[in-house]
Parts: sequence; structure tokens; C-alpha cells
Amino acid sequence: MTRTVEAGFIVAASLLAAIGVAITEFTLGNWLDAQVLVTLATFVAAFGGLHVAVRRWAPGGSPLILPIAAFLTAIGFIEIYRIDPELASLQRWALVVAATAGIVVLWLLRDRGVAVLRRYRYVILAVGVVFLLLPLLPNTWPIHGATVNGSRLWVRFSLPSFDRVLSFQPGEIAKVCIAIFLASYLAERAESMAVAERTLGRIRLPEPRSLGPILIAAGAAFAILIYQRDLGASLLLFGLFILMLYIATARPFYLAAGGVLAIVGGFVAANVFTHVGRRIEGWIDPFGHFADSGYQAVQGLFAMGSGSLTGSGIGLGRPDLIPAATTDFIFAAVAEELGLAGSIAVLTAFALFLAVGFGVAIRARDRFRKFLAAGLTVVVGLQAFIILAGVLRLMPITGITLPFMSYGGSSLLANVAIVALLVRVSHEERS
Amino acid sequence: MNRSLRKTAYGLLAAFVVLLGSVVWIQAVQGADYRDDPRNPRLVAWRTGRERGPIVTADDVLVAISSPSGTGANTYQREYPEGPMYAHTVGYTSVLFGTTGIEKAWSSTLLSDRDATISGVLNALLGGDPRPRGLRLTIDHELQAAAAEALGDQKGAVVAIDPRTGAILALVSNPTFDPNSLVDASAFDAGEALSNDPDEPLRNRVTDESYPPGSVFKVVTATAGFDAGVVSPSSEFDDPLELELPGSAATISNFGGTRCNGGSPVALEAAFVRSCNTVFAQLGMNVGGRQLAITAQRFGFDSDIPFDLPTLMSRFPNGDALEADPAATAQTAIGQRDVQTTPLLMALAASAVANDGLVMEPYLVSEVFTSSGEIELRAEPRVWRRSLSPATASVLASMMEQVVISGTGTKAAVPGVRIGGKTGTAEVTGSAPHAWFIGFGPVDAASDEATIAIAVVVESGGSFGESATGGSTAAPIAQRVLAAFFGVPVD
Repeated sequence: MTRTVEAGFIVAASLLAAIGVAITEFTLGNWLDAQVLVTLATFVAAFGGLHVAVRRWAPGGSPLILPIAAFLTAIGFIEIYRIDPELASLQRWALVVAATAGIVVLWLLRDRGVAVLRRYRYVILAVGVVFLLLPLLPNTWPIHGATVNGSRLWVRFSLPSFDRVLSFQPGEIAKVCIAIFLASYLAERAESMAVAERTLGRIRLPEPRSLGPILIAAGAAFAILIYQRDLGASLLLFGLFILMLYIATARPFYLAAGGVLAIVGGFVAANVFTHVGRRIEGWIDPFGHFADSGYQAVQGLFAMGSGSLTGSGIGLGRPDLIPAATTDFIFAAVAEELGLAGSIAVLTAFALFLAVGFGVAIRARDRFRKFLAAGLTVVVGLQAFIILAGVLRLMPITGITLPFMSYGGSSLLANVAIVALLVRVSHEERS
Repeated sequence: MNRSLRKTAYGLLAAFVVLLGSVVWIQAVQGADYRDDPRNPRLVAWRTGRERGPIVTADDVLVAISSPSGTGANTYQREYPEGPMYAHTVGYTSVLFGTTGIEKAWSSTLLSDRDATISGVLNALLGGDPRPRGLRLTIDHELQAAAAEALGDQKGAVVAIDPRTGAILALVSNPTFDPNSLVDASAFDAGEALSNDPDEPLRNRVTDESYPPGSVFKVVTATAGFDAGVVSPSSEFDDPLELELPGSAATISNFGGTRCNGGSPVALEAAFVRSCNTVFAQLGMNVGGRQLAITAQRFGFDSDIPFDLPTLMSRFPNGDALEADPAATAQTAIGQRDVQTTPLLMALAASAVANDGLVMEPYLVSEVFTSSGEIELRAEPRVWRRSLSPATASVLASMMEQVVISGTGTKAAVPGVRIGGKTGTAEVTGSAPHAWFIGFGPVDAASDEATIAIAVVVESGGSFGESATGGSTAAPIAQRVLAAFFGVPVD
């Protein structure tokens, strides 16, 4: 029964994407063409395929996760299509690849479930670390790193037989690997880390050695910041570590220590690295730095403000005036054309995703499954928060994709994989 | 463990609630400010071709209208039927040069909601009126035309105000330009020529140009004396041929180098009527620089005037510095040296005397009306400041009436109407003097029923050149405007 509802939602999301494309064609003054049908077919194939895979290999899984993902992907896709139809056709291929990967994940876990991931946790960690380091490969290699907008977080294949350069962001895959590893590691170690040996007044302090992991996390985050200049990924990984340590140990000490380290680290970074300093300067007074470091933030504000309550309508705004409108600032583009109504719909969908994800974690039967579901949910929720808070001027812009909505194959692939894993965990809680 | 999970979940959900609050703030509360920010590149795209509401004068003359341009669905061409006459008031909406004047200040009211946006469609479905609003100006077209004709092709400014409300009745700045020539995308050369013209036709001389006030400033100096209790109209002053200034080689003499009263002591009122510099320089030094500065600030010097159009701040020197320098105080007291004012502020000074000492906020838009003619918003007159006490205002009003009856301002007289005024001839280095007149009418100390206040400035002597004075050059212009206002034939 609920699976039928899920199928209904997926059809609705697919129609949404197709209608969005049709409206774009209409408002831009074009005739409707095959784009509408190709989009409909791609969405039905991708999310329908995932739906069928879930019916086969995770039939007890939550029926809410896939529809939320489909909705967010459709809204993001419409805006990408409206800004750059050529990017949108690449994104359609990315969606097919991502859905295939999600189906493969469900198939791999069909018999032994997510528990099998525990056995390979060091392999998974190694894959994650290698993926994190890939962008540092020298430019002369066939597979090499690339610097885009000052951040080195891309990998490109320039193979002689391809005339198009393929590129992807391995950090997106790495974050999933690291979440899996952390869940498995903490499932075994959490108890020893939670024991408090010393007290300072009323505050209970943990053993000095249990500070180890948190310092490793801070060090890794800082290393990413230095070598890849990737503020967003650095913040996301650090936040993931801290929140998972807190979830596993229930000790607020980790939150406090993480917060202090983040503020100190941010302060040092702001003063040592010019690219971080510029982001902060553009955050505090974007209008004062209108021509340089505040430009993107201000263009985002103009877009969102112009959207007002109900938006300009698809194809009738000027989201193309915002730098990085299809990636980091996709939310501002949606907010301009769909207005506050669209913004609230998107935020609500993310909040719903968080609620469902944490629900899966709370109901999961064992520690590993709990931590896995929580970690994956935190990855999506925290990443969405980091970029949205940047766009909405609550913190500096850090440059990271908005899950499901931003243009980018690696991001879509990683997030669809997370969806598949979450559905599988929620299936296992029932069987 | 589930407890820390729940807390984390609530924490992240709370973070999303904060995001929600932030997006509501940005889109719903601050939205219009961001949308209308002149740096928003969308404005360039929007102002070309969108329908804007009509602008009419108080007597129903159409001064701005959008008509379908025929180049595409829902694209409009902005037209200004009266051409140059309202260029500085209404301004223009131009593809290349942005938006100015009332077109800018009231842009969001004038813009149409009728477009294919979700909000536009929703508004139409809910029965809202999607057509743009129109504006009615306070300006009376007949008076505006009379003022423009009176000033002729002389450089300068004329502004008339209703002292009881602050409504602007006429606003003329010369030289002017045709806003129609700047509207469309082919206007680049025309715009360049206007902005490079040394006569600065684009500048609004009423609000955005400052001049030394010369003797019209004696209204302020007299107020300082009366309000400080230092003098009364009958107080007597020495009448030297040349007033020597302490600690300075400079001297002050009267216009034409004559004595004020044949050498015998002269009453302040008589000195005001004849505009004697020597007397007012003495009064300035008696009152002191600090008190003079306080009074000038009460009239609105060193303050921004709240107005629909951008205004230049009128400047008065620092009071403490002036207090220590009596020679500078003497020169400032007759409106020379470093004191600078806009014609708008001098018109407000005249309106203060006319309105029992109270200055109303000046405004240009009296009504906002919908496309079906319903009035949506009516301007509410607001007090800007008190410049002088009612008693002082009444004394000054009768002194100003004497100026027009028997003094330097006789050429501003209108038969059958009691007019008060003050002339000024501001010396400037390197050119002929600027001729000033400020005034109001009718003078009626008992019932404060003055209905018009006016300021006229003719730059560099106008057609009179070196021989120009406030009385000979500016007063006749004021007379023609006042006569038109009161419906009295002159000449």
C-alpha cells in the first residue's frame, strides 16, 4: 500500500520536472519539443528504477525518503534547465548514473544487509581517504586534480580517446565513505569514550586520550582547508565528526570542544588565509564589498528579494545574473523564480528528510545501524545547512553543493547512494 | 543514545527553522528593498518596457504616461507630454541613464503588477487591480508655466510652496532639457551632451545646487537677534560709511557704497527694509557666531530636508569657530563668506515666517490613485521643524511687508495683495552677482493665512549681468508668479 503511494509521489515529481521544462520553453518563447518527454522519461526511469529496486530488496523501507529526494531533484533540475539547458542534459545523464549506483547499492546489500559494511570498514575508510586526496594529483597525470574558483576539489580525466574532459568531485563520495566508517568505528568504541574519569567542578571531563579522535578530525578538516582550500567540505567533515561523536557518547563535552575548535580554527584561518578572510569580509559587509568579495552574496540577495512572496515565475526572473546559480546558489535561483513559497517548500522538504532520517536512526535495532542512519542524515542535513546559511547570510559562503538540487554528477551520485542506504536501514529495522 | 540522537535531530531541525526565518526576512520583509536597490541589475531589464502609472499635475495636466510601444506584447514606451517643463521634478526612466526624480522616488508605486508572474496572476485571480498606480503632483500647471515663463531663459531657479502644508506649487530649474530625448536605447549621444554641458541642465537647481544667500540671510540674522532678546525692530545702530571689522583689514559697506540713514543712528527695521549691510554686520557681531549658528540650524542649515527628490545640504560655518572670529561673523551675518544654501531651503525660510514660525515638510505627491481613479493614498502634511517663535515670525512678517511696500522689494508688489519679501544680491568672485528674492503672501499677522511662499534665484545676474540686484532682477519674477497665483493681472 505505502509503496503504491511512493510510486504515486515519484510519478508526481517526474511530472513536476517535465512541466517545469515545458513552462521554461513557453516563457522563453520556444516551442515545446522532445525535452519535455526526455525529462519525463529520465525521471520516471531513474526514480522508478530505484522504486522497483526498493520493492525487491528493501520492501519494508520507509516510503518517504525516495519521494523527498525526487521532489528536490525535480525542483533543482527545473532551475538548472531554465538557466542552462545544456547543463540540464548532462544532469539527466548524471541522474541516470546516480540511480543506477543506488540500485547497485541495494542489490549488493540484498542478502546480508548493511551489516556487511562493518566488515569492510577499513577498506571503505581507505577509499574515502584516497578520494579525498585525489584532487592533489599533479596536473600532468592523465587523472589529475584541478583548481576551480580557487578550490582544489576536482578530478579530471583527460584520456586521449575522449574529446570531452570528464571531471568529478571525489570529496562528495568520500563523505559517504567516512560516514560509514565513523558509524562502524563508534559502534565499537563509543562506550569506552563515554566514560568520564575526571571532574572539574560540576563538569565531567573525559580521559585525555579520548580527545584523540576530535583532534584528528580538527586536523583533517584543517588539512583540507590548507591543501584544497575547500571551506565547505572542511566544515562538513568536521561537523560530521563532532555530531557523530556526540550522538555515540551523549557527551555535550564533544559539542562544546568542537564548537570552540571551529571558532578558533575559523579565526586563525580568517587571519592566515586570504581566501577565508575575503569570504568573511564579504559576509559581514557584502554591500560594502559590492564589487569584489561581497558580489555573489549581494546578487543572491537581489535575486531572492526580487522573487518576493510568489516569485517571478519560471523563466521570468534573471537567476542567470547570480554567480554559480546552478551550483552553490541554486537556492537563490529557485527563490527568485518560485518566490518565498518555493523557498519554504524546499526548506520543508529538507527538514522532512532530516525528520525521516533521524526517525530511521531512532528506530534502528542496533548501534551500528543507528549511527549509520544518523551519520548519513547528518551529511545531507549539515551540507544543506552550510550552503543555505551561506546564501541566506547567516554565515560566510563556503562553496558546497546543495544536496539533490545543485548541478553536479558526483553530488547527485553520493546523495542517491545515501538515499539507498537509508531506505535499506529502515527496511532492516522491520525484518 | 536515542536521547542524544533526538537532541541532534531537534538541533538540526531548529537550525532549519532559523533558515526559514532568514528566508522570510530576506524575501518578505527586506525583499522590496533588495528588489528596488539601484544596483540590482534586474531594474535595468525591468524599467525598459514595463508599464508605469500616469503622473498628473494638481490641475489634471498629464506629465508622464506609458503607451504600448508596439514592439512586443506588454512593452511600453514612457512619454513626457510637457517635455522640459517637468524634467527636474518628474525626472525620467531611461534604458541607459537610469531613473531620476519622482519616477525614481515613487518607482515601486508607479510600476505595473500586471505581468505573467505567479504573483501577478494570483493578484488578478484574487480580484486585485494589477494596473499600475498613478500619482497626482502638488504642482499647479498654470503656476508652473507662469514661473517658467517669468524666469525665461535666465539660469536659475524658482520654487513656490504652500506654507500651511509644505505642498510644492511650482518648481522651475533653468536651463532644462527634454526627458523624452533620454528614454530609449538610442539616447546615448543626447545624454552625453547633456551631462557634459557646462551649464549643467541635468542639475536640479532648486534642490541640488547651493548659492551664497546674500541679504536674504538677514531674515535669519534678524531672527537670531529677536529670539536671543538682543534687539527689537526699533533698536538703533550706528551708520558708518564703512564698517571696520575687528582684527581684520576688511571692511563692510552698503550696496552702492552709500550710508544707510545719512549718518544718523538707524532703527533695525529701517535697515532691514533698505537692506543695510553695515547694520546687520553689527547685529551679527552683537549676537555672536554661536547664536547665529544655532538660529541657522533651526532654519534647517546643516540638516537633510525630507523630500521626494534628493536634496543638497545647506551649509553654515561652525558656530564656535565663528564666535572666535567677529570679522567672519559680520560677513556671515549678511549671507556672504562660507554660508551656502539651496533655493528650496530659502523658500522654506520664507514659509516659516509665513506660517507662524513652523516649517512643514515639503512634498510633491498629493495623491496615489488606482487605474479606476480611486484614491489609494493622500499626502498628510507633517511639521518638519520650528524655525522661529510665533512672536518673532509676526514681527518679521511686517518688516518683510515693508520691504515690498517701500524698500528694496517694491518690484515684487502685487496690487490688492499684501506681499512680504526680502531681496538679496550675493557677491561672487569671478562672475556677476546672484539675484535673490524670497517672499510670501498674503501677509496677515492676525490670521496667518499666507497661502504661498516663494524663492527665486537668478544666477550670475541673468539678463541684467553686472548691474543685477535682487530687487531689479529676482523680485519681478516673483511678482509674476505671485500675480498668477492670486489671479491678479500685472503690467
